[in-house]
Amino acid sequence: MAKRSVWSDNRFWQRTAAWITGFASVLLIWLTFDTSAQISMGTDADIQNGVTKRVPAPTVINYKVTYEFNKKRQHEIPVIGGMNAEGTSAFQEKEKFFGRDDWSEAEAAELLRLGKLGSQAKNCMNCHTLLGNGAYYAPDLTKAWLDPAWGPNGSMQAMTGKSTKEEAMAEFLQHPSQYPTHARMMPNLGITAEEAKGLVAFLKHMASIDSNGFPRNFGKMQGAVNGK
Amino acid sequence: MANSYLKSESKKLATWYFTVAAILFGAQLLFGLVAAAQYVIPGFLFELLDFSVSRMLHINALVVWMVFAMFGSVYWLLPDETGIETVGIGMGKLLFWIFTAAVTVVVLVYLFIQVGPADETTIWFINEGREYIEAPRWADLGITVVALGFVANLFMTGMKGNRSGIVTVLMADMIAFAGLYLTGMFYTDNISIDQFWWWWVIHLWVEATWEVFVGSIAAYGLITMIGAHRKVVEMWLWIEVTMLFGSGILGLGHHYFWIGTPEYWWEIGALFSALEPLPLVAMFIHVLYDWGKMQGEEDAKGQAISVITNKPAFTWFVLNAFGNFLGAGIWGFFHTLPQVNLYTHGTQFTSAHGHLAFFGAYATILVGMMYMAVQGKNGIKILNNTRSTIFATSMIVGGVVGMTVALTIAGYSDVIISRAQMGATWAGYFDAQATTWLTQGMIWRLLMGVITFVGFLFLAKDLLTTGKSANHVR
Amino acid sequence: MNAMFEPFTDVVPSFFGTLAQGPLTLTIFLHTVIVLPMIWIYKQEKARLEQEGN
Repeated sequence: MAKRSVWSDNRFWQRTAAWITGFASVLLIWLTFDTSAQISMGTDADIQNGVTKRVPAPTVINYKVTYEFNKKRQHEIPVIGGMNAEGTSAFQEKEKFFGRDDWSEAEAAELLRLGKLGSQAKNCMNCHTLLGNGAYYAPDLTKAWLDPAWGPNGSMQAMTGKSTKEEAMAEFLQHPSQYPTHARMMPNLGITAEEAKGLVAFLKHMASIDSNGFPRNFGKMQGAVNGK
Repeated sequence: MANSYLKSESKKLATWYFTVAAILFGAQLLFGLVAAAQYVIPGFLFELLDFSVSRMLHINALVVWMVFAMFGSVYWLLPDETGIETVGIGMGKLLFWIFTAAVTVVVLVYLFIQVGPADETTIWFINEGREYIEAPRWADLGITVVALGFVANLFMTGMKGNRSGIVTVLMADMIAFAGLYLTGMFYTDNISIDQFWWWWVIHLWVEATWEVFVGSIAAYGLITMIGAHRKVVEMWLWIEVTMLFGSGILGLGHHYFWIGTPEYWWEIGALFSALEPLPLVAMFIHVLYDWGKMQGEEDAKGQAISVITNKPAFTWFVLNAFGNFLGAGIWGFFHTLPQVNLYTHGTQFTSAHGHLAFFGAYATILVGMMYMAVQGKNGIKILNNTRSTIFATSMIVGGVVGMTVALTIAGYSDVIISRAQMGATWAGYFDAQATTWLTQGMIWRLLMGVITFVGFLFLAKDLLTTGKSANHVR
Repeated sequence: MNAMFEPFTDVVPSFFGTLAQGPLTLTIFLHTVIVLPMIWIYKQEKARLEQEGN
């Protein structure tokens, strides 16, 4: 009688399944600790000390944020407060946010909290994508703060009759169906003035998160559809 | 539920779960049609039932009907596998009513209240605004209680009765399934941490624990429907668990490419998830191999009769084996590598994958289990296809495949124009939306959605009436 | 630039980040440590099957 092969033995596969499941789970938990530490939110002290965090402090709203190609990382990264010699955030150049660039850590955190809660309460994610996740019925919001449409040369400030990016965004969020850009419109979600402010802070903060270069070439190309 | 042949209370409870699951399946398709129509007619139900609401109902009904049908499937197979009546069936029935009532309330609130103010009350009572697990926190807690009760029943029954390999796998799998839900319930201001844990629920459900569940159900189906040998089936099941969890657990990394998480996830996510199709190929081969083997043994006896005792269910099981591989495996692999995903992430391409994967991997086998319940409830020896079965199966499968193709084509516009060329801005997004591929793709998707829905009507009719048909061997 | 061991490129240095030396180093390492112990399980089970008879 031929010897039975281990490869067709149930116990061998049962033990293999247990080992692989268990060990993969342990690795995932270890990786989760490692990643959690790296994506915890930074503090204002980090910004003051020039420490780059993947998810910066809420006070990032006091600074100018851009999205620049980084040679070392080989993709675009958020650059906060101007660029230093290494091509990363210098944390110097400020930018007024609703008329102020001195939002305290507590004020900024409160605003961000309002915005994050608002993003969930208004169900943004079931039309838009945030960090690329959500629905595909409306534009991705990952770097919406940096969208040229809202900038000084874009159409949205003129349309909403506002002179800054944040005010234009806040106005649009409160009365979206008054400012249609396409046949597909954003509905009125009962967003209050305060909530709109929070949501814009949330968007500015999200734009300053290091998303490993997603989306690629954001806002770099304009008006070149189908090679025209 | 009258004149049932069922003696087992567990199986009766299973039929309740299947009934609600089928109703929610219909609701899923209906709200999907509304959402699909809104792509084609932008003003449709504007500020009444906006896309965000119809789409939320579409995907929530999907998740909930599948969970109902999964609970039903376990209650159905437990008496057969363990040889005893399910322990704690009274609690099981009570939890069924709690679950059904909670789902009804959640749906009504979604429909009529829709959004709330930006504070914790909305998170507690209206919706959490996190795709797939929008259910407000009170419902989260309720679902947790129901899931733990279900797992308790499964464990008590498994420990008291005969604990087969299938039951052992289900016990381990279902406790992970219930436990993972807990990781998606908390609130944080940090959206990277938010999405990190959110994927623990979504990914480790649909690409790990649910897949292992499907492996167990397929194993049970092969034993009961074609008389496959338990030892062979269970060996395959262990191999599938090895490969599914081996690739699926760390495959979670493919959701961590762009949400603020470290760059090392690129390679972990890429290569582990690239292996995720392997167990799906294995499952497909396994089902077809066993079928051929059993039919061959039958043929060798000189009898030209089919070994399949439930034709519609077996059809859906085979569709599952192939659909899982095609929808989850191939359509998933398309965009799992970071260099591709950089451009495909969050486009209609993702949507195409989502449709075929949920359908191929889960809807198919759960519909198959519903047919198993119809057979058992009506005391039928061999359940044959009726004309409605054929219409239902072909229209649903054709419709979903058609939707997937349409969305894939629409996805190309999204990827190439909105992402690769225009860099994902507001203007770039709408440039892509206006392209022929995308607009026509959305029209085809709507048409295919209608076909799917008509197919569902045939399915509902068939599930309700086929038990009385004279077509079957009793 | 052409060193075998590349300086760390990510934002925050970490153990896993250090193992990520190129597109595949980290993932091949993890796959290996997951799969290799199967050899040990195989040998144990083979010994058991041989002992059980034939």
